[in-house]
Amino acid sequence: MKRPVAVVGVGQTKHSTRRSDVNIPGLVREAIDRALLDAGLEHKDIDAVVIGKAPDMLEGVMQPEQFLVGAVGGHMKPVVRIHTAGSVGATTALAAVTHVASGLFERVLTIAFEKQSEGNAMWALSPNMPFMPPLVAGAGGYFAPYIRAYIARTGAPAHIGPVIAANARANAGRNQYAHLQEPMTVEDVMQSPMLWDPVRYLETCPSSDGAVALVIASEAAARKGPRKPAWVKGGASYAEAMWVPGRDQVNPAAGRACSKHVYQQAGITDPWNQIDTAEIYVPFSWFEAMWLENLGFCDIGEGWKIVERGEQKFGAHLPINPSGGVLCSNPIGASGMLRLGEAALQVMGRAGAHQVENAKTALGHAYGGGAQYFAMWVVGSEL
Amino acid sequence: MTKLRNVAIVGFAQMPIIAHDPHRTAQEMLYPVVRAALAQCGVERDAIDYQTAGSADYIDGRPFGFVAALDVMGTWPPRQDSHLEMDAAFAAHYAWIRMQAGECDTALVVGYGKVSEGQPERILNLQLDPYYLAPLGLGPLSTAALQASAYMARSGATDRDLAEIAARNRAAGARNPDAQVRTPASADELQGTPWAIEPLRQGYVPPIGESAVCLLLAAEGKAESMCKRPVWIGGVEQRAEMQTLGARDLTHSASTQLATERALAMAGVGKAADVDLIEMMATNPIEEMIVREAMALPARGDTKPVINPSGGPITGHPLMMTGLIRLGEAFRQLSGGADGRAVPNARRAIVHAAQGHCLQQNVVFVLGSERRWS
Repeated sequence: MKRPVAVVGVGQTKHSTRRSDVNIPGLVREAIDRALLDAGLEHKDIDAVVIGKAPDMLEGVMQPEQFLVGAVGGHMKPVVRIHTAGSVGATTALAAVTHVASGLFERVLTIAFEKQSEGNAMWALSPNMPFMPPLVAGAGGYFAPYIRAYIARTGAPAHIGPVIAANARANAGRNQYAHLQEPMTVEDVMQSPMLWDPVRYLETCPSSDGAVALVIASEAAARKGPRKPAWVKGGASYAEAMWVPGRDQVNPAAGRACSKHVYQQAGITDPWNQIDTAEIYVPFSWFEAMWLENLGFCDIGEGWKIVERGEQKFGAHLPINPSGGVLCSNPIGASGMLRLGEAALQVMGRAGAHQVENAKTALGHAYGGGAQYFAMWVVGSEL
Repeated sequence: MTKLRNVAIVGFAQMPIIAHDPHRTAQEMLYPVVRAALAQCGVERDAIDYQTAGSADYIDGRPFGFVAALDVMGTWPPRQDSHLEMDAAFAAHYAWIRMQAGECDTALVVGYGKVSEGQPERILNLQLDPYYLAPLGLGPLSTAALQASAYMARSGATDRDLAEIAARNRAAGARNPDAQVRTPASADELQGTPWAIEPLRQGYVPPIGESAVCLLLAAEGKAESMCKRPVWIGGVEQRAEMQTLGARDLTHSASTQLATERALAMAGVGKAADVDLIEMMATNPIEEMIVREAMALPARGDTKPVINPSGGPITGHPLMMTGLIRLGEAFRQLSGGADGRAVPNARRAIVHAAQGHCLQQNVVFVLGSERRWS
């Protein structure tokens, strides 16, 4: 990056099944107002707005950022809309970072949202394409075979997924904004209905209404702010083609390339010891074990053993998703930015009841498409 | 203006705009233009640091339509990528910002979409406020007609003025092998066509068309080896307005005016009249008059700069690509590739692209055959 960039404000909504008390502009305003208040700024201080969300069919509004220009304070400003599938929230925040890094913008507001109760995600994510058999199985049906491949390769025991799910729920209990907070045991998860073998009902992310907003600023602007910022130490977004012989959806090349690039920028050579906590995109329990490997926290085949040893729990060596993560709150378009925003809150020391003690360096991560799009950043408490 | 990085357009390829390609998917249409743009620059895909695209899921009729384009963009091994749900001209602007941030030196920008498989008039209704506007059933032609009525009432522009602007574009389009409408038509003929929606006649608005486009950008140091005559971006600015039709003066484009002023200032060009040509995303004659006024040019009449020597969107409007085609056409003009539609001695150009109903969001580029910053 050409110059230092920081996160100076974080705001999010309470995530829930149906926010019938607000319309789409009301939902995004809730997150924006909190982010601006957090940063001690007003709309007049903002130079550009970068918006992201997942497929427009989830709400049935084409390019909704256009009708939202007024609500997001974008009138007579540059407004950019990103869409990179499930990774979009992260790619959007990174686009805001790019805007500030360019030297052309001092403070950029970035927003991601999904109001899934306006539509039906299973329908919207199950298109009937020419020349392709309709799967009508949504994202879970799409990803379950990759999880089975992971289990076949590593010989991981069947309880790993349920352990991950129960831990996420325990974490969400400490996050006031999380959608699903009711405690549950590994036994509860094992007894819930099988949806897409091996993924059970309680190992699956919910459909949520929710929004998140971040204020991204230059070093000079960040130093004027009321609070300690989170410094963006590295960030990148990568994609890979769909139909490539030898492509590995269990350990995708794009995920490895992206984390390598980000670690290089952030000076990280030993992620397991240099990163204090990570918010990673886990829509179905087993992906936590898979991404631990893909992100270089351990050797290939060892991810599930970290879970088995409990080293990813809150208070352990590398707390994963202290917010409860995607498994407990999933406004799809916002989920990636929530991961990045939660990582920022951790290094700012303002994550509240789910604050990881002494977190100085954190990773925020998201993926999307058929495990094809990856976007992540490393943030730090010091420049 | 602080010193920025010199970035140039170094390649552009376009599938001629047609009403409907019955044989190929959007991706099959896109692949040859990606290859052609790379071939123009004498490079393989590995030479490009970053890729971005402009497209819309609703045009594709499915979620994640852009994922299918990854393969034909050459996304293997994995590439740095981001997709914009916007006209691809906005993706080009974003790629330029990435170069200013030092995140890449070269970028591939594509636009695509199988527009003919849907009904744009109904699909684009879904861009409107879902609570107050979309349920009224307004499509882009209806909102354009409202804007046209308001502009004609304010300015005194007549049906004849609209016909003459459309006729000028049709004459230019006849010289452009990539245009969809390649038959010239007189103002009399066009004024005799039925209403599309009053006061816009069928002869004043483009038919449904589809295409595929690819533009290559490169920063100084890389651009020179990829192109004999790179076309340098001297200034660019983008601005959006509130959508609510009743909340803005539809007869003026305040966002185009601001974007133009700032882009010209960045480029060190005094006024729009100082350039040789303008490619503007005016999808009907009223939009052309409004954009011309926003650029402080006379709304009507032949002027320097030449407006839309390509024939403009009235002779071809493939959704999500029309803006990027404007950039590509200006590149052709300034790099000696405009053939039969070349503006003599063209050295500087303005490019305007828009999206949304009634020119809601606009981006303005100022291009030159010389580097802006030394």
